[in-house]
This record gives sequence, C-alpha cells and structure tokens, in this order.
Amino acid sequence: MTPSARRESHAGGGGSAASARPAPSTGAPALPWDARRTAERGLVAAAGVLGVLGLITVHAALYPAESWDPVVAGAVALAGFLVVHAALVVADSRGDEVLLPVAAALSALGLVMIYRLRPDYAVRQAAWISLGLTSLLIALGTLADLRWVRRYAYLCALAGLVLLVLTVLIGVERNGARQWLVIGRFTLEPGEIVKLLLVAFFAGVLVEARPLLTLPGPRRWREDLGRLGPLLLVCVGALLLLVFQRDLGLAMLYYGVFLAMLYVALGRLDYVLAGLVAFAGGAALCYHWFAHVRVRVDVWLNPWADAAGRGYQILQGLFALASGGLTGAGLGRGHPELMPASYTDMIFPAVGEELGAVGTYMVVALYLLFLGRAFRAAIQADGSLDRLAGAGLAAAIGIQTFVILAGSTRLIPLTGIPAPFLTYGGSAAVSNFIVVAFLLAISDRGARAAVDGRDGQAHP
Amino acid sequence: MVRRTRNVGRLLAGLFAVLLVYLALVQVVWGPQLTAAPQNPRLALAAERIHWGRILDRRLTVLADSVGTGPAQVRRYPQGLGFAHVLGYRSRKYGLTGVEGRYELALLGLPTTDPWQAVQEAFGRTPDGNDVVLTLDAAVQQTALSALGSARGAVVVLDPRTGAVLALASRPGFDPSTVDAQWAVLSRDPSAPLVDRATQGQYPPGSSFKTVTLTAALGSGRVRLSDAVTCPEAINVGGTLIHNFEHEQFGQISVLQAFVASCNTAFVQIGQRTGAPAIVTAARALGLGQPVRFDLPTSSGYVPPLRDLGARGLAQISFGQGSLLVTPLQMALVAAAVGNRGTMMSPFVVSQIRAPDGRIIRKFTQRGSRDVMVPALAGEVAQAMVQVVRSGTGTAAHLPGVTVAGKTGTAENPHGNTHAWFIAFAPADRPVVALAVIVENGGVGGQVAAPIARQVLAAALAAQTAAGSRP
Repeated sequence: MTPSARRESHAGGGGSAASARPAPSTGAPALPWDARRTAERGLVAAAGVLGVLGLITVHAALYPAESWDPVVAGAVALAGFLVVHAALVVADSRGDEVLLPVAAALSALGLVMIYRLRPDYAVRQAAWISLGLTSLLIALGTLADLRWVRRYAYLCALAGLVLLVLTVLIGVERNGARQWLVIGRFTLEPGEIVKLLLVAFFAGVLVEARPLLTLPGPRRWREDLGRLGPLLLVCVGALLLLVFQRDLGLAMLYYGVFLAMLYVALGRLDYVLAGLVAFAGGAALCYHWFAHVRVRVDVWLNPWADAAGRGYQILQGLFALASGGLTGAGLGRGHPELMPASYTDMIFPAVGEELGAVGTYMVVALYLLFLGRAFRAAIQADGSLDRLAGAGLAAAIGIQTFVILAGSTRLIPLTGIPAPFLTYGGSAAVSNFIVVAFLLAISDRGARAAVDGRDGQAHP
Repeated sequence: MVRRTRNVGRLLAGLFAVLLVYLALVQVVWGPQLTAAPQNPRLALAAERIHWGRILDRRLTVLADSVGTGPAQVRRYPQGLGFAHVLGYRSRKYGLTGVEGRYELALLGLPTTDPWQAVQEAFGRTPDGNDVVLTLDAAVQQTALSALGSARGAVVVLDPRTGAVLALASRPGFDPSTVDAQWAVLSRDPSAPLVDRATQGQYPPGSSFKTVTLTAALGSGRVRLSDAVTCPEAINVGGTLIHNFEHEQFGQISVLQAFVASCNTAFVQIGQRTGAPAIVTAARALGLGQPVRFDLPTSSGYVPPLRDLGARGLAQISFGQGSLLVTPLQMALVAAAVGNRGTMMSPFVVSQIRAPDGRIIRKFTQRGSRDVMVPALAGEVAQAMVQVVRSGTGTAAHLPGVTVAGKTGTAENPHGNTHAWFIAFAPADRPVVALAVIVENGGVGGQVAAPIARQVLAAALAAQTAAGSRP
C-alpha cells in the first residue's frame, strides 16, 4: 500500500478506515465559528495591552533614563498577534479562538520578565516573537495540511537525527548543559526544531502502522516489534544522543511524547508500561554511569548540602518563590537576578518572586488553558492523522512545560529546557508558534468536519 | 483514540494539579521559613534598603533602634549593652543572632503586605520594618545585671503563670555593634562573652537539684517529708566517701530538715530509697537533659542515662553532682513549675510584632504548657522551699512582707571555686516571679547567689505590681 493510495480527504469525513468512527462528542459546546474570531480579537488585544503596560511599568520602575526602544519593540511584536488574527479572519479560519490569545499572554509576560531581568535582550526577544509569528503564518500557509507527514515521515526522522548528531559534533555549550548550533551570528537550539520533526515522524509512522497493529485477535510482540522497529530505533537513537550531550530535559520530553503518541495511536497499555519500565531502567543506568546525571539528582534531593555550589541555582529558585509569597514583591522589586539563568531556565521562579503565587498560578492556568484547547483540538480532529498529530503536539507542550516548571521549582530534578512562549530564545519561539499554527489548522478542519457532518445528516 | 487522547490530557492535568499544590506549599506555607534561611542573600539585600524595626521591652522602652541608611545603618542601644545576648548582633560577616536573627523577617517587615510601601519607596522614603516587643522588663534586667556586678554568671526571671521571661541577664557581655571589628578578641576570649549563659551555659546544678530529687522522692511514694534520715559528716557508697559541705553533720533529722539544711549525705539515702529510675524520670519530666523550646537557641544540659548510673552515680546525682549539667533557664523553669502548682509554662521572650504605626500584627500570650507534677506534690515541695528561705541555707533571700520559696546550690566543678546557685519563686502561695541565679566560681550559693536573688526578686515583684494584675 503506497502512501498516495491511502490518502484521504479531510473534507470527506467518513471515507477512510482511520476516520470511520462517528464524530466524537465534543464536551463543552464551541462558539459558533464566526463568533470565535471576535472573541479571539478581544483576548489578543487584552493580552497585548497588559503586556505593553507591563513593559511600561518595568521601564518606569527600573530604566526610566534609558531608551524606550524595548517597550516600542515589545509593543510592535505583540501587535503581531493581531496581524496573525487578521490573517485567520481573512483565511476564514474556524480554528480555536483561545490558543492564539494564550500564546500572546504568555509571550507578553515572558517579554516583560526578560525586559526586567535582561533589558539588553528585550529587543531581541521582541524580534524572536515576530519571527515566531512569521513562522506561524508561513506554516499555516504551507504546512497546515498535515498529509505531507505521511510521505516525509522518515525524512523528518533523518533530519532530526542529523541535527542532533551535528549538535554532538560541533555544538557549543551555553547555559550549562544545553547545546547549541552556531550559524554565523546566530545560535540555533536544535532540540526545539527536532521536537517538531519527531512529532511529525511519530504521527506519520504510527498512522501508517495503526490499522495493522490494532487488528483484533491475539497480539504477537515480535511482529509488532518489527513494525514499530524504525520508531524505536529513532527514539532510542535520539535519547542516546541527548544523554551523551547531557540534555536530559529534551530526552524526557522526546520520550514522553513518544510514549503518549504510542498510547494514543495503539491503546496498548502493555507497551506504555514496558516503555515506562525501560525508562526507569535507563534512568537508573544513567544515574550509575554518568556523573552529570548523578549530580543533577543529588542536587535535587539535597540542595542544602552544597548550598553555595551546585545547589545554588535551585536554592535561589526556592528562595525566589518563597520570598514572592502570595502576591509577590512587585515587578522590579524582588531579586530574581540572584538566580543564574533567570531569564531562561529559571524564569518561572522569577515570576514567582515578583508576581507571587498569584503570578505562578496565573502562568499555570494559562498553560492549562492552552493544553485544554490543544487537546480539544485533537479530540475533535478530523481523521486519525490530525488527531494523532494534535495529541502529540499538545503532549509535547504539556510535558515540556511541566518538566521546566516543576524542575525550576524543585518538584522534579532540574533539567534545562525552555518554558514554551515564556523563555527567552528564537528557536523555541519559531517551534512553538509553528505548534500553534498546526493546532489552529487541526481545530479548523475539525470544526469544519463537524459542521459538514451535521449538515450531511440534516439534509441528506 | 478520542478516549486515549483525553486520558493523556487528564494525566497532564493531574501533573499540573500536583505542581499547583506544591507551589502553594513553597510560596505560602513554607515561604517564611525558606525566606529566613541564612543561605538566602535576599535578606541581607533587604536589610540595606529597610529601616530596621526597633526592639522594645514590655513597657515599650526602646532597647534597640537604628540610625543611618543603606549600608551605613547601625544599631543603637539606648538602655545600654546589658541586653546584648537577647537582642543578638547583626554582622555582615558572621550573620545574625538572638532576636535580631530569629525575628529578622519581622524586623525587616517582610513579606511586605502594605501596598503603600512601594509607593513610598518610589518617592525615596526608606520603609520601616516592624517593631518586636519583648517580655523583658528593662528595670528587672538592669537590677539583675547590677546585682551580678562584674561576676561571671547569669540571672533568669520568669512569670511562672505565663512563661514570659522578665529578665535574661548574662555576664560578661559585649557590644553587638562592634562584633565585626572585635570578632578576633571576642571569639577567643576565655570568658566567652558571646555565649548567652542564661540559655546556653551548662553547669552542674549542685544542691539546687535537690528540688528535683525531692520531687522524685515524694512523687514515688517511697519517701515522705517527715521520714527520718541521718546526716553524718560522710557516707560510704561503694567504697567512695561522700562528704557534706564544710563537714557539717546533724545526726538524725527529717527529710524536710535534710532539704532545708541541704545535707548531702542524707540526700544520698533519699536517693537510694527513691531509686535512680524515678530520679532520672523526674529530671527529664522537668525538662532537664533536653533543649528548652524557646525564641532563642538553648542548650540541652545533661541527664545521665539510667544504664550509666551505678550506686555511686545515683548517690552523686541525688545532690546534683556527678555528670549532671543544667542551664539557668532550665532551673528557673523548675522553680516556676513548682510555684505554678506543677504546671510548667513554655518560656517566651517575644510578645508582639508591631507595625511602624503601632498596630499589633502578631501577639503571643503563651506558648503552651506541660503538667510536670500533681498540684499536691508541687505544694509539698514548695513548702520545703519556703522553709529553706525561712530557716535554712537560703535566709539571705528573705524579703520583708513576702514569702519567698527557694533552694540554694553550691556546685563543685573542675574549673576552680564552686558555682553559687539560687532558684526561687515568690510570693510562695501565688507566685508572680520565679528565677534562677548562678555566679560562676562565686562560692557558696546561700552567701553569694541568694543575696542577688533577693535584690532581683524585689525589683521583679515591684515590676509585676506596676505592670498590674495582668500576667
């Protein structure tokens, strides 16, 4: 069976084996599609206004004598969200109306915190947001129809592995453990791009393999293993590369996404359990073999043992959160600059110090809102490919967010990885806004299919 | 697939729910404790931009305030340096001690709840921290210090009804504002001026411990005050001769008379009749051998475990020698518990946190209590202590018009002359003051410590009357 022969029409609804099931129940009723964009406009505008007010506050409080450039650049970047919104209106999108505003709110907060923590990086972060939004538009225009994923699945895997190998070979260490590729004046964080490539690869391969692997009847592990072989190979290869370059956060992210997509596609809990056991075994071996893993875990268990050395960062994170209390010290009135990597890995405790538990709860609430809408897009998706890709993207954002938020607060061992939309960085901005583009496209197709389906029943 | 997608979402939502609970713990529940950690540089930074709160005595007399701003801010001590051990020092190099250390957050007014502070700060006004009000009475503390004179030693004065500490005096003292400059001298001085002897000095209790032995003896039911014992000049315990102080002997006397005259050889017999388990249990029940829960750091002292107590060990602890060690605060609490009909109130020295405008933010009236002996037993011990001051070794603590109950101690130690002890409470029937006095290597308790106790008791009783009937 060639990929082209299995092509399916998104608009057709019930044509292929993959989408043979009836349209799922959708939980909370969605807004009528034309009201969605109106809601989106208001929410994006509100997020932008709050962001600009935050920038002005920081400017007035900390840098009153300096140039207004960062505030202007930030305002321009945040206005970009309205441009994206306008593009969605023009394209008559019926995609989810909350995803873009939440991304805007988190980006705005990130921009404000970066301006407060590293004013010299604020203009650049504004540029990264603009670049990310541009990528979003390009992705919406060119890549949104995800059927390319089936055809180019292995190319994606190859590209991802090549990027990781390149990072091992010529990568440069910045910010402790993370590895970067230097291209001319720019540094690229390959892990963020590989995240997208791997989700595409997993989705493409699993959607192909699904009909054969979910046939009723007794399961034969050996046969399944043969079909899942390439998947496992790529996954293990990526993990080994990451462990060797010490990027444990990315390793956890990729593996978590792999398990989540495997479970969604095949529903085989025994595979997931085997995967978790393998993870536990692998983690134990890593602890045993690699000193850097041991250090991470030991510092997590007892940061006080080396409070001035290895435990310093995580303890400062705890002090930042604690001194923030319920309502925070106020923007510019705390000391988050005491934390190393305050504008990247430790940006969440920095929010906790200056905006308090109110601020951290707000951030978590925004992420939960984003995840809720992302998973809803997957659940209401039209066809297994969209559903699987949507679930993979949602899981990726969810796992990544949890790994860094819980890591920087010492709920789990700290492994540096960007907090989506919040952390400083261009590669992350590009990759995460492309995720938004895909989720918007998936929810758009899902909404259209649901309407078509209803129409079809009502007027045969 | 839909159900499984939803399950993945649910799993992630569950993880974030755990994160939210954890954040509430770190930021709100554990927040103050974490913020106060000495490894947190934020406090030192905050201390540079906040005008430190004052430390006041219970009549709101200023014990410590500060002048200057930023790094130049320094403490002043309008009532002199006699409160140094309680107040503690704030050193950029050696950290913070005493109330300064324990109540640092309060003195800096952190965490800030006042939104106006931000506005005021924006206009260049240095924000004020909160004031800390102590239970100490400056007059009683000054009396205790001047009564001690230049001697090394300590005086602890408590209100037995509440556990409020009225005086916590320790000699020699130091100037907290010169700790940075004088560290080499202060930290190496053999007289250890930085140590708060009242809470952390560990001494053999000598005969003041007979109060504990008597409590154990009467409480065990094996000994009554009227029982007969002998008081020979010396007694042979397992081949060791134990002597009386200055080779006194009184022949056959009652247990009460043995306590009043503080006869060691008689107490060896009382200890033998009572048994080591009862004495050790009573000592521990009275809080000896463990650190006292208090606003300031305390030492544990030492009560030997039963298995280490042979016949000779039992004989020695019966009159407060051997390996026993106690702190003056512990002995003051023993006296207070006897006076308070067997209920030991947990001691405390901080009574209020006040906002700069005088509004009371937190108030502590008492910190809990423990029943350490039945009231009837406490009454019997108290009567014996009254006799000590009326006709025994403690007559130097007698006050006209007030019944004082007390017990002397003259503790042998490896560092020279005996330590002079006196523990007491007054008025004996309804005490409002309890105290412990120790003069290191001062000599005989009844001659050296009891007169100091008399002066301090007089001042404390006057202060308590002046403070009104409120405890």
